[in-house]
Amino acid sequence: MTRDTRRSPILALLATAAIIFAACGGAASTAPSSEPTTTPTQGPTAEPFDGNVYPEDGSSACGTDGYNGQIGSIKALDAQTVEFTLCAPDAAFLSKIAFTSLGIQDEGYLEETGGGGEALFRNPMGTGPYQFKSWTAGTEISIEAYEDYWGTAPLTPNVVIRWSTESAQKLLELQSQQVDGIDNVGADDFPTIEGDSDLALFRRTALNTFYLGMNNTKPYWKNDKIRQAIAMGIDRQRIVDTFFPPGSITASHFTPCEIPGGCEGEEWYEFDPEGARELLAEGMAEENITEIVTKVSLREPPRCYLPAPLDIATDVQDQLQENLGITAEIDIIDTTVYLGIASRGELDGIFLLGWCADFPDVTNFLDTFFGVGQDDSLGTPWDDVTALLTEGGRTADLEERKAIYEQANDLIKEHVPMVPISHGGSATAFLADVEGAHSSPLNQEDFSVMKPGDRDQLVFVQNGEPGGLYCADETDGEALRICGQILESLYDYKVAGTEPIPNLATCEANADSTVWTCTLQEGITFHNGATLDANDVVTTYAVQWDAEHPLRVGREGLFEYWGYLFAGNLNPPPPTE
Amino acid sequence: MTRFILRRLLSSIPVIIGIVFLVFALARIIPGDPCEAALGERANEVTCERYAVAHGLDKAIIPGIFRVPGGAIEARPGEIPATFLDNQFVVFVGDVVSGDFGTSSKFGLPVTDLLIQRLPTTVELTLYALTFAIIAGILLGVMSAWRRNSFADVFTMLIANIGVSTPVFVLGLSLAYLFAIVLGDTALELPPSYRLSPGTDVPTLAATWGLEDLGGPLRSILDFMSNIYTFNAIARADWALLGDVVRHMILPAFALGTIPLAIIARITRSSLLDELGLDYIRTARAKGLRDRAVVLRHGLRNAMLPVVTVIGLQLGSLFGGAVLTETIFNLAGVGRAVTEAILSRDYAVIQGFTLVIAIGFVLINLLVDLSYAFLDPRVQQR
Amino acid sequence: MTAPVVLEPPVAGPVEDGRAGARPASLWRDTLGNILRQRNAVIGLVILSFFVLVAIFADQIAAYDPIDVLIGDEEGIKKLAPPCIHALGCPETMAEHYFGIDGNVRDVFARVVHGTRVSLRIGFLTVGFAIVIGMFIGSIAGYFGGKVDNVLMRIMDVLLAFPALLLAVAIVVVLGPGLLNAQLAIGIVAIPIYARVMRASVLSIRERDYVTASRALGESDLGLVVRRIIPNALTPLIVQGTLGVAGAVLDVAALSFIGLGTQPPDAEWGSMIGIASNSMFVAPHVVLFPGIALSLTVLAFNLLGDGLRDALDPRLNR
Repeated sequence: MTRDTRRSPILALLATAAIIFAACGGAASTAPSSEPTTTPTQGPTAEPFDGNVYPEDGSSACGTDGYNGQIGSIKALDAQTVEFTLCAPDAAFLSKIAFTSLGIQDEGYLEETGGGGEALFRNPMGTGPYQFKSWTAGTEISIEAYEDYWGTAPLTPNVVIRWSTESAQKLLELQSQQVDGIDNVGADDFPTIEGDSDLALFRRTALNTFYLGMNNTKPYWKNDKIRQAIAMGIDRQRIVDTFFPPGSITASHFTPCEIPGGCEGEEWYEFDPEGARELLAEGMAEENITEIVTKVSLREPPRCYLPAPLDIATDVQDQLQENLGITAEIDIIDTTVYLGIASRGELDGIFLLGWCADFPDVTNFLDTFFGVGQDDSLGTPWDDVTALLTEGGRTADLEERKAIYEQANDLIKEHVPMVPISHGGSATAFLADVEGAHSSPLNQEDFSVMKPGDRDQLVFVQNGEPGGLYCADETDGEALRICGQILESLYDYKVAGTEPIPNLATCEANADSTVWTCTLQEGITFHNGATLDANDVVTTYAVQWDAEHPLRVGREGLFEYWGYLFAGNLNPPPPTE
Repeated sequence: MTRFILRRLLSSIPVIIGIVFLVFALARIIPGDPCEAALGERANEVTCERYAVAHGLDKAIIPGIFRVPGGAIEARPGEIPATFLDNQFVVFVGDVVSGDFGTSSKFGLPVTDLLIQRLPTTVELTLYALTFAIIAGILLGVMSAWRRNSFADVFTMLIANIGVSTPVFVLGLSLAYLFAIVLGDTALELPPSYRLSPGTDVPTLAATWGLEDLGGPLRSILDFMSNIYTFNAIARADWALLGDVVRHMILPAFALGTIPLAIIARITRSSLLDELGLDYIRTARAKGLRDRAVVLRHGLRNAMLPVVTVIGLQLGSLFGGAVLTETIFNLAGVGRAVTEAILSRDYAVIQGFTLVIAIGFVLINLLVDLSYAFLDPRVQQR
Repeated sequence: MTAPVVLEPPVAGPVEDGRAGARPASLWRDTLGNILRQRNAVIGLVILSFFVLVAIFADQIAAYDPIDVLIGDEEGIKKLAPPCIHALGCPETMAEHYFGIDGNVRDVFARVVHGTRVSLRIGFLTVGFAIVIGMFIGSIAGYFGGKVDNVLMRIMDVLLAFPALLLAVAIVVVLGPGLLNAQLAIGIVAIPIYARVMRASVLSIRERDYVTASRALGESDLGLVVRRIIPNALTPLIVQGTLGVAGAVLDVAALSFIGLGTQPPDAEWGSMIGIASNSMFVAPHVVLFPGIALSLTVLAFNLLGDGLRDALDPRLNR
C-alpha cells in the first residue's frame, strides 16, 4: 500500500492543478463549464488554434516508400475537430477507434512524463468516469469516481479490482461476500451460481474461436482427405458439452455468428466417424502409409478461448484413437515458446490454438489466420481464400461483404486448414444485489453503471494483475478492462455489447468512407484538470503511429495494438537481419 | 567465542559468492524465450528484437555465449574480445554490488520496489506461522511428555503425526472451504484470501511520521517495515487494521504452521523425556519438589536446545511451504512472485528475489548457529 | 516442504566386517526386534505394506483403466459425478464407481489405486538417488578433509541456502516439466542433507582404532571408505532416508500440484489434486480421495522413520 503513487507525479499534479487554478481564477474546480476554457498545457495563446498535423508536413503517408499502414493522415482542424484520412475504405473504422488502446491521453501529461515511465503507466490520466487512486502491487488496484466527469456520474464512488487465477478461489470469495463480482467463472461452477439466489450469473457471448490446427506442409496433413477425415472424425459437440462452460457453442464457422457477416456460407462438417474412417483410409492409401502416429500439442495455461487445455487435449487424444485409430501422444510445450514454434510452422502434429476478438469485425478473425499476413502455423496459405479476404476488408457495404465471406467460408470448409471446435462461453458472476451488473463480450465490463446494494465500494476479481495502465502500450485484457474505466476513446462500445457508439466524439465519413471527420464534445476535462481538445487526439494517435515519435516510450515501447488495428507504422524501423 | 564467530562469518562469504553465481546461471539456463513470455500472441521478430535491446538481452550472457531469438543458447567464440566486459554477467554483478537488482520486465518497476512490496507479505506469514507452531508445538510437546502414555499423549502424538503428513495444499484448501463457506455467516467465518479487506487504505509509516523526504536504504527499510501490516498497525495504534490483518492471517498461518508445529511438538516431547530421565531430575523429585516445578523449571529449560535448532531449521521449509500457501490463499508474497517470474522469464525478478531470499537464509542460519553456540559452549570446540 | 529434521547422527557401535557371518545376523535380528517393539513403526509398516500390495495388484483391484475416458462407454455418465456404491444405495442401474468420476470422466478409484505405484516409486527412487550421491560427496568430504571438504561442503551450503521447493521449481523449469525431472529436482535438493549426515559419521568413525588399524595394515583409501566406513555410517542414513521418503513424496506431489511434475493423463496424487482443486467445492471427492491416500502414505513413512530412529538409536531407547 505504500508506494501507490510516486512522489514526483504527485508534485507535478499539484503543480498542474495550481496552474489551472490560477489561470481560471479559481473556477476550474467547479462543475465543467460549457465554454471552452484555455488548455493550460498548451500555453496562453489559444487563438488561433495551433492544430497538430500528422505526418507533420501535411502530406499523406499512403503509398510512401515502405509504408503499409491504413492511415494516411490525422489532422486537428480546430480545437474540436479531427480529420482522419484512410488509404482505403475500412469497414471496421468505428469499431477500431472505440478500442481501449486508443483511449485519449492528455498531450501535456504525455510531455510531462516523457511518454513513459512509472509516472505514466502506474498512474494513468484520462477523461473517464473513474480516476486512478492506488495500486498495491500484487494485490489490488483502486479507482474512484471523478467528480468533474462530463457524462453520467458513476453509481459507485469506489471500485477495487483484485485478481486470482483460481476459479474455485474466486467463487469462494464471492460466496462468502468478500467481493461483489468475479470474472471467468469456472465451467463447473455455473450451476452452483445459478442455483444460489444470492448470486447472479452473466454469460458472455462467445467472441472467440478454438481450433485444432494442422500444418498442410507436414506428412499426413498435406493430404486433403486426411485433413477432412479429422474434421469429420472428431466429435466436437462432446468436447463442448464436457469441457466448456454452459452457453458455449460448437463452431459452425471459424468466425462467431455474433460478428456481423461472421458465419455466412455452409455449416461445418457433421460428426461422422464411419465416413471419416473411409476418407482416412483413402487418404492413407494415397500417401502409402499404414498407420498415423502423431502428437496433440498444447500449452498448459488456460486461454480466453480454451478453459482446460490439458483435459481437452486428453479428450482429443482419446477420440483420435477411438474414432479414427490414430495414435497420438500429448505434447506439452512451454507456454513461452509455444506460439513461436507454431508460427514458424514447426508443429507437425495436431495443435490446440485459438483467438479472442479484439474488435468485433470479421477481419479480426479470418484475416489473422487465413489472410495475407498469416504466419506459417497452418503451412501454405490458400491463395483463393487470401484474395477474397483482402477484398472483404476493403468493402464497406455489409451485404457485399457477406457475399464475399460466404465464398471464403465455403473454401475454408473445403480446404480444412484447421478444425474449428468451439466458441467458448464464459461468464461473470455478481452478488444478486448489484444493480446494473453485466458481462461484456469484449471483456470491457463498465463498472460505472453498477451499484452494489447499499455499499459504497464495488470489488471485482479478474484473472490477473496488469503489467501497466498506459494502455496504448498494453495488450493484456486485464489491463484494458481497467483502462476502460479511466480512459475514454473517441467511440465506445455499447455497454455489454459490441456496437460502436459515439463517446468523446461523433464521426462522419465522406462518400467513399476514406475520410472521417470527428467532432469532439465540448467541456471535457482530464483528471488532472486539462481540457480535452483535438491536439490530444492527434498526439495520442501519433505516438502509437510514428515509430520515431519522441514520446513513443511507454512501458515496453512496442505499442502492439496499433499494428493490429491499422497495420504499419510511420517511419518503420528498417528490416533487420 | 570471538574466534568462533569470526570463523563462522568468514565461511559464509564463499557461500554467498556461490549463491550469486548459481542464481545468475539458473535464471539464464531456464529455457524459453523471454520475449514471447512477455508479449504472448503479439511476439514476432521485430517486436522481439526491440524487446531484447530494451532489456539488455541482446548482450552476451557471459563472453562468447549468447541467447538467440527463440530461446536457444548459442556459443559465438569469435565475439569474445569485443564484448568481454559488456555482458549480462558483468552487468549483473556490478548491479548487485551497488545494491541495484535491475528492473522487472513484466512490471517495468525496480526489483527493489517489488521486494519492498512482496517480501513483507511472506515475512509476516512466516512469522505468524512460526509463532503459532512454536507456542502450540511446545505446549503440546510438554503436555505429552509430562503425562507420558496418557490419552492426551497418544492423542497429541497422533495429531502431530497426521499434521506432519498432510500436504499444505490439501490442508489449505480444506480450511478455506470450512471457514469461508461452511462456517460462513457465523462468528467463526474467516476470509479465505488476501491480506486485507478490499479497499483498505494503509497509510505508510513514512507519511505518518513525516519522513517522506527520507531517501536511500533507510527509506527502503522503513517502507519494508511499513508493509508488514502487523507492525504498521501496532506502530500507528490502528487496532481496526490489526484486527483485519490477524483475521486474514489465521487460515494461511494455520495451514503453513501445521507441519512445523508437529515437528516441534515431537522434538519437545522426546527431548523433555530425555531430560526427565536424568539423575538430577530424579534427585529433584526425590527432594520433594512439586511435579510441575520439576518439569517446567528444570526439565524444560535444558530440553530447549534441540528445540531451538529445529526451529531454526524449520524456517527454511516454512519459506518453501509459503509458495504453496500463497497460491492457495492468494497472497502476493515472494513465493508466488518468483514462480510467476520464472513462468514469464522475468530475469531481474528471478535473480533479485532468489538472491535476497538465499542470502537471508544464510544470515538466519548464521544467527541460529551463533545462538546455539551461545547456549551450548561445547559447540565451539567442534 | 518438509526438511527432515537433521539430528546429531547417532552412531551405533561399529559393525564388524560384513563377511564374518554370525554377529551381523544377530544384530539385524536385534534391530528387527527393536523395530517391532516400536508401536509407531509397526503401524507404519502395516499401512505401507497395504499400499505396496495395492501397487502390486493395482490392475486387479481397479475395474477401470486409470486413463480411459469413459464418455461414450457408459450410458448417462457425467463428469465429476459423485461416488456410486451399490451397497450404499446407489441404484443398481448405474455402474459402480467407488470414488466417483473426475473432470475428464475417468474413474477416480482406478486413478488413486494406480497412483500408488507412482508415489511409492517416487519416494524410493528420489531418496535413493539423493542418498547415493550424498553418501558419495559426504564420504569424500569427511574422509579427505581439508580443502576438498571445504569446497564440497560450501557447495552443499549454497544448495541449502535456497528454500528447497523454490530451488526444485527452478530446476524443473530448466529441465522441463515431467515426473522424472521433478524427481531429479527433489533428489538434487535433498543431497546436502545426506552429504552432511554421511560426513559427520565419517568424521566420527575415521579416527577410531579399528579404522586406524586397517590403515596400518595397508588397506587403500577406497577400501577403507567402502569396507569400513560406509557400513558403519549406514544407520543414520537409513533413518534419515526413511523420513526423507515422506518428504520426497510430499514435495513431488507439490510440484505435480503446480503442474511441473507428472504430466497428464498419468495418474499421480499430487497432480490429481492440482487439476481438481478448482472443482473442489463442486465435487470434493476428486480432491478428497487422492488427498487421503497421499497423507496416509506420508504418515506411514513418517511413522516407520520414527520407529527406525528409536530402534536404531540407543540413546532414544526407553
